[in-house]
Amino acid sequence: MEIDHNTLVAFSKSWGLFYLLGFFICVLIYAFWPSNRKRFDRAKKSILDQDDKPWK
Amino acid sequence: MAELFHRKIERSSIGFAIAIVAAASVGGIIEIAPLFTIDGTVEEAPDMRVYTPLELAGRNIYVREGCYACHSQMIRTLQDEVERYGPYSLAVESKYDRPMQWGSKRTGPDLARIGGKYSDFWHVAHLMNPRDVVPESNMPAYAYLARTPLNLNDLSQHLAVQQTLGVPYTDEMVENAARDAYGQAVPDTDFASGVSERYGEATQVRAFDGVATQVTEMDALVAYLQVLGRLTTAAYQNTAAPELPPEPVE
Amino acid sequence: MIDKLTYSERQSASFILVAVAVVGLLMAAFGNSNQLGVHGVIVMIFAAALLYPVLSAIYAPEPVEDREASYYDDPIKVGIVLAMAWAIFGMFMGVWVAAQLAWPNLAFDAAWSTFGRLRPTHTSGIIFGFGGNALIATSFHVVQRTSRARLAGQVSPWFVLFGYNLFCVLAVSGYFIGVTQSKEYAEAEWYADLWLVVVWVTYFILYLRTLARRKEPHIYVANWYFMAFILVVAMLHIVNNLAIPIAWSSAKSYTIWPGVQDAMVQWWYGHNAVAFFLTAGFLGMLYYYLPVRAQRPIFSYRLSILSFWGIVFFYMWAGSHHLHYTALPHWVQTLGMTFSVMLLVPSWASAGNALLTLNGAWDRVRSDATLRFMMAAAVFYGLSTFEGSFLAIRPVNALSHYTDWTVGHVHAGALGWVALITFGSIYTLVPTLWKRERMYSAALIEWHFWLAIAGTLIYIFAMWNSGIIQGLMWRTYTGENTLAYSFVDSLVAMYPYYIARAFGGLLFLIGAAIGCYNIWMTVKAVPSTVPATPDAPETAAAVPGE
Repeated sequence: MEIDHNTLVAFSKSWGLFYLLGFFICVLIYAFWPSNRKRFDRAKKSILDQDDKPWK
Repeated sequence: MAELFHRKIERSSIGFAIAIVAAASVGGIIEIAPLFTIDGTVEEAPDMRVYTPLELAGRNIYVREGCYACHSQMIRTLQDEVERYGPYSLAVESKYDRPMQWGSKRTGPDLARIGGKYSDFWHVAHLMNPRDVVPESNMPAYAYLARTPLNLNDLSQHLAVQQTLGVPYTDEMVENAARDAYGQAVPDTDFASGVSERYGEATQVRAFDGVATQVTEMDALVAYLQVLGRLTTAAYQNTAAPELPPEPVE
Repeated sequence: MIDKLTYSERQSASFILVAVAVVGLLMAAFGNSNQLGVHGVIVMIFAAALLYPVLSAIYAPEPVEDREASYYDDPIKVGIVLAMAWAIFGMFMGVWVAAQLAWPNLAFDAAWSTFGRLRPTHTSGIIFGFGGNALIATSFHVVQRTSRARLAGQVSPWFVLFGYNLFCVLAVSGYFIGVTQSKEYAEAEWYADLWLVVVWVTYFILYLRTLARRKEPHIYVANWYFMAFILVVAMLHIVNNLAIPIAWSSAKSYTIWPGVQDAMVQWWYGHNAVAFFLTAGFLGMLYYYLPVRAQRPIFSYRLSILSFWGIVFFYMWAGSHHLHYTALPHWVQTLGMTFSVMLLVPSWASAGNALLTLNGAWDRVRSDATLRFMMAAAVFYGLSTFEGSFLAIRPVNALSHYTDWTVGHVHAGALGWVALITFGSIYTLVPTLWKRERMYSAALIEWHFWLAIAGTLIYIFAMWNSGIIQGLMWRTYTGENTLAYSFVDSLVAMYPYYIARAFGGLLFLIGAAIGCYNIWMTVKAVPSTVPATPDAPETAAAVPGE
């Protein structure tokens, strides 16, 4: 089958959109997954401590 | 499931990098894929000719000096632009342009159809010192172009690379590049007749900088400016109100 | 700094530098007396200048302390110094080219000093020199602190930093002598581009390996932005710069993309360079230094994740808004416009997130100019992304495109967002790195802040005025239905604004010079005896709920 411009455009316009939506749903699930809350809370506070040495 | 998956991505930084690539590039590639075939959408223009070696050298001077910073070569499909500059630009008109010089800023006017609008003499005087011709101009002076002889030695290499990239230069054109560049700026020599033979009778052969004894960068740049918008007449046939390109001023 | 390297590391550093010098020699030999030859000589000088200190200390005693017990800060320090040096160079070139537009004779009738050649020295000097060095330095700092791990390499951070600066030097020196692809923001020629790929791959591997060593289970969001910056810039750079040189001995190349394809690839690159170089990387700075300086956690971590993916995804298509009403197919233009408008959502989410983080600490914003730099940066980020989405709408673009409005918009982003967030981050970072209690002078930071704000506002107001006047004059018709103004009429109307713009830029440059002095005096000051603490107030305020 020959891949011409119109084929690619059609592919992009349909699957590109699905890809975008699917990706967005995954991100939403990740961001709002209940058990991730603790991890995010820890991450945002841990940069504030004044410890200036690598951990062993 | 999603949780497990995310934890896994996060555990390894490589997984995370892959996720970014997936979002940006796979997404991007799906999105930009059509652009790689966009040349399929370029209209046909059977009369389109390639740049002569002298014009190509002039174009490379245009590129070298960064003229794109102040001049566009893209007339948009807006009424005032068409009235000011001429028929709007077609994709086919820049199909041999590497890189394209559509530009993004007009500190000076658009140049897409500058060819033939002014005389060679005007262009040379303007490039020597723009304020001699346009007192209000803020363009730099390019007097050194008239003092600098054009480098003809590597023109064959330039054409050969363009040929590799798909520009329809013939082997004969590639071989004679330096001679043709010389001939186009030094009329009434044997070299000059070769130019018309290979690039068509309509090719402008004359001493662009007014000096017929040597070929300077000024010759090349003016030759390029004088051919801008004149490689094909497609744009004039395509507009709602067809018109003919103006007779060139010499 | 070389005393922190082991003998074998010094050896490998010397080996790399000798190899670079040999490449320079080959370039000089094959290039003969052409521009490639000039660059060969520059490469050799660059390598020799670095080789000298390495060789003169090659047999010095090896480090005795456990290096893994501390962070690797030397390359960060040098990176900051280089960033500030490029800032002064790039801003000076900016003021010069701005002045040339008002007084064209400032080109002094020479080839190297014409507007067309100097303009890319300004843009590359600022974007790559100043911005790039600041990004490399801060990314090295952030990745170590948030991972609680030392950089995964002793020589490679230096390779990345100096290799990158060699690219910048080749790019900028090339423009003066006429080596340019004239692809906007990607002007550097093929050999410099190839070299950047080598440097960038090393950067990516170093970053990835450092993240892999992390002791924190979660990768802090600032690193996401830095990673996106590194990865996507690599992708953009390679695709846009695919070119064939006319000969191995020549600096000149032809891009493989012709005409309309080149236009699309170029602006796909150009706009995503804005997205991933000038936005993502600097958002990485914002998400680390702003909370640290304010001593308050980021308002919403979730929001920062959502806006991250939004930016990574939406920007890809936005580039075609640079090509409205051109010969590009119409549907591509429409899609570009749509995505550009959608981009406002993640952009404002980031700006809002930053400002809400400061909610409850406004007294500190008032008293601490460093924090105020970052606050102002977030405000300008919000304003310029709004303006960007607005300008991407086709009918608006019909008026604004090709005019100074675009230039004003870019500078609202570059001065207001990129430079201010960088200065804020650097003022936070310098005392920490050099183990000083605080910056040498808080008053000078105030001066810098107000000069920067005044300069930015003068600049963008001048460009709004000139751009809109220009755009309107071009499309004004007389009663007889003919164009009312010649092009020269519109140019004459620009002169007062061009003068004002050069003045605004000059204020910004003076501010940066004051910043350099302040940093220099801080570095020179006696180290504090108390253990290093960031010089932010101690009290951590209550965490706002999500």
